[in-house]
Amino acid sequence: MAITPRDARYPFLAAARETVTETGVDLGTLVANDEPAVDRGRERVERALLAGRVDAETPDEWRLEDELLSYPIARILVSLLDSPAAVEKYAAAEAKTAIERLKDDLDTAGSELRSTPDASLDRATLIAELGLDGAITPEADTPQPAAAPEWFWIEVGTYLDLATGLGDDWRLVNRELSDGQVRVDREELFRLLRAAIRRRVAEGLPFEGLDKDEGIAAELEAELTELRRLLSERTTVGEIDFVARELFPPCIENLLQKAEDGIELEAIEQFTLMAFLTGIGMDADEIVAFCGESSLDPEGIRYQIEYLQADRGTQYPPPSCETLSTYGICHNEDDHWKVAGHPLAYYQHQLEATDDDLVDWREQAAVDDSE
Amino acid sequence: MDERTREYLRGRFADYYRAAETPLPPAANEREWGHIPWTPGSGTTMVRHQSQLDLGDIGEFLTRTAPRHVYFSAARYDDPGASTMGAKGWRGADLIFDLDADHLPRVDPAETSYKEMLAACKDALQRLLSFLEADFGFTGLRIVFSGGRGYHVHVRTDSIQSLDSDARGEIVDYVRGRDLDTDGLIRVASTGGATQRLLRTEGGWGRRVHDELRSLTTELRELPETDALDRLTSFDGIGEGRAETILGALAANPQAIERGNMEAGGPGIRLLADALADRVVDEHAAPIDEPVTTDTHRLIRLPGSLHGGSGLVVTPIDRENLDSFEPLVDAVPERFTTQDIAIEVEEPTEVALGGDTIKLNPGVHSVPESIAVFLMTRGDAAKAPA
Repeated sequence: MAITPRDARYPFLAAARETVTETGVDLGTLVANDEPAVDRGRERVERALLAGRVDAETPDEWRLEDELLSYPIARILVSLLDSPAAVEKYAAAEAKTAIERLKDDLDTAGSELRSTPDASLDRATLIAELGLDGAITPEADTPQPAAAPEWFWIEVGTYLDLATGLGDDWRLVNRELSDGQVRVDREELFRLLRAAIRRRVAEGLPFEGLDKDEGIAAELEAELTELRRLLSERTTVGEIDFVARELFPPCIENLLQKAEDGIELEAIEQFTLMAFLTGIGMDADEIVAFCGESSLDPEGIRYQIEYLQADRGTQYPPPSCETLSTYGICHNEDDHWKVAGHPLAYYQHQLEATDDDLVDWREQAAVDDSE
Repeated sequence: MDERTREYLRGRFADYYRAAETPLPPAANEREWGHIPWTPGSGTTMVRHQSQLDLGDIGEFLTRTAPRHVYFSAARYDDPGASTMGAKGWRGADLIFDLDADHLPRVDPAETSYKEMLAACKDALQRLLSFLEADFGFTGLRIVFSGGRGYHVHVRTDSIQSLDSDARGEIVDYVRGRDLDTDGLIRVASTGGATQRLLRTEGGWGRRVHDELRSLTTELRELPETDALDRLTSFDGIGEGRAETILGALAANPQAIERGNMEAGGPGIRLLADALADRVVDEHAAPIDEPVTTDTHRLIRLPGSLHGGSGLVVTPIDRENLDSFEPLVDAVPERFTTQDIAIEVEEPTEVALGGDTIKLNPGVHSVPESIAVFLMTRGDAAKAPA
C-alpha cells in the first residue's frame, strides 16, 4: 500500500499505523541503517522539546516515508528518555501540529478544489478516529451549514474529560449546558480536539520493555544523548536541599578544587559555583564555611549570594554544561552529559540514584563543631 | 444505648430484613460493602473493604447480622475486597448527590422541625433534579430518601462512570452555581464587522437568567408605566433614566430580549441581567454536599436497608411519585406498624411519624412500634422491661 501524504501528516491515525505495518519496514533495521527517518524522528522530538511543535524545519528534505516512519521512531526515543515531562511535552507538540494541519485542511476544503485530496483530513474523520463519534455534533441551526459550522455541542462527559483543567473559561458552571450537551464554538472545538489528540499520542507512552542497553536503544544512543541534554537544559530542577560533595558533577568539583588550590576563579567560574551551591539549598553562612579553605573571600561570596538568592534556583540557576563548555569550564568529564546536561539536574539525578546512607555536609559540620 | 434496647433493635432489624426484599445495585459483586454493627457504646466502627464474596448472599447477610447501617460503594473495582484503595483497581463510579437538611441555607436546624427540614430538603432536591434532567440530560435517576435527614440521587449513566474527582467537582460547582462568572453570561459576537452583546441563552445558568429576564419583561409590559418604572428602579444601579431607557427598548423592540440581545436597553439592561443572575443563583442553586459527589471511593447507604439512626427505610422513590412522597409516612417500615411496645423516656419528647404526632412526658409509655424504634435508634428512649 502506498504511503499517502495524509498518513505522513497525521501519523497517529489508525490508517497511518496500518500503512506503517503494510510497508513491512522493520524499525530495528531502520535504526541500524541510520535511515533518514531516524534523523527526522530525532528532529521531531527535538522540535517538540524546544519549539512545542513537530513539523520539519525543512519539509522538502524528507520523503513521505521518512515523515511517516519518523513518528514511531520519535515514540521510541521519547520512551527511552524516561521522563514523564518529555512524554507530556512531546504529546502536546504532536497535537498542536496536527490541529494546525487540520485547520489548514479545513480552510482549503472550504475555499476551492483540493489540489491533493489524499493529503487532507476532515473533521468528521478525525472525530471518528479519536473515538468521539456521536459525542460531538455541529449545531443544526448554523447560517451556512455546508461551510464551517460556528457552534458545536459536545456530550458533557466527554467535555469534562477533555476540558477539566484548561482554565476558567472552560469551567462547566460558565457554560451553556442543555440536555447533556455543552455548547462550544469552532475555536474551542479545536482546542478540545487538541486535548484528545494529545491523549491519543500519549497513550502507551513510554513503551514498556525497551531494554536501554540493547538493540534499538543502543543504536539510538547518540540521538538520546543529544535529546537528554536538551531536556535537562529545559527542565527546571526540583527543589534540592542536600549537600553531598561526593555527588557533585565533575565540572563543579573541578571549580571547587581549583579554588581550594588557591587559584583565583574567573567571574563566570565563581558565578557558576555560587549558583550551584545556592541551587542545592545552601545559605551564605554555609557556603562561606564550605569554601573556608579556598581562594574565595567571604565578602565576595556574601555579595554574590545575596544577589543570587533573590529568587533562588529559578532566576539564576547555574549555566548548563553546554554553556559551561563554551567557557572551558565543563569538558563533559566522565561523559556525564549522558546522565544530565545541567549541573543541578546531574546532581539531583545522582542524589536519587544513590542508595548509600548519605550524610548532609551541614549535619556533619554541625557534629564536628560540637565535638 | 443499653443492652436490652440494642438487642431488641437488632432483633427487629433482622425481622425486617427477613421479610424485605432488598434489591442489589448493578454489579454488586464489583462493589465494596460496608456496615456498622450494633455495638455497645456510642462509638461506631464501620466494617468496610468487604466484597460480596466475603459477605455471601447479601439478603442472608442482612438477615443474619441485621446491621445498624449498610453501605455499598459508588465505585466498581477489580478487587473490591482489597484493603487499600490502590489495590482495589478502580473501574469507575456512579455519580452520587447528597442533600442534607443540616446544610440547607436559610434553614436553622435548631429552629426547624424534622418534618419541615425534610420538606425544605425536598425542595432542594427538586432544584437538583432540574439541573440533572434539563441541563445534564441524565435519565434513569435513582432518587432515594436517606432514612435520615436528606435525599440521595444515584446517576449510573455510562458517560460519567470514568470521571475523576476534578471533573465531578465541576458538576458540583455547576449545580451549586459556585464561581459563576455573571459577566461571562454575556458574550460578544461579531457579525459583519459589528459587535453585539448576547446573553448565553442556549443552556446553563445563562438560560436560567434569560428565563427570569423574559418573565420580568412580560410582567413589566402588563404593568402601568409608573409601576413598571418602580419595579425597575428597585434593582441596584438602575435609576429613573435607565429604567425609562429599558422600558423604551422593550416597547420598540420586544423581540430583542427574546433573542438575548443585550444592546437594546443600554447599559441598564445589562445591570438588570447581572442583578437577576445573583438572584437566580440564590434561588436555583442546589446545596449538595460536595465530598459525597467528588469522592470516587465513597460508600453510600443501600436503598431498601434500614437507617440505624431512625429506623426508617432508606426508600427508593419513583420519579413520578416524588411530589406525593411523605418521608415520615412512606419510609416507615410496615413491619413496625402492627404492635405497640413499651418504652421509657427521660426527657419530654415530641415525635411526628406515620401521620401521628405524639407527645411523651418522662416515664414509661406504650407507643406504636415505629415510634418506639424511631426514638430508641435516636437515643431518645430505652426499651422498657417486658
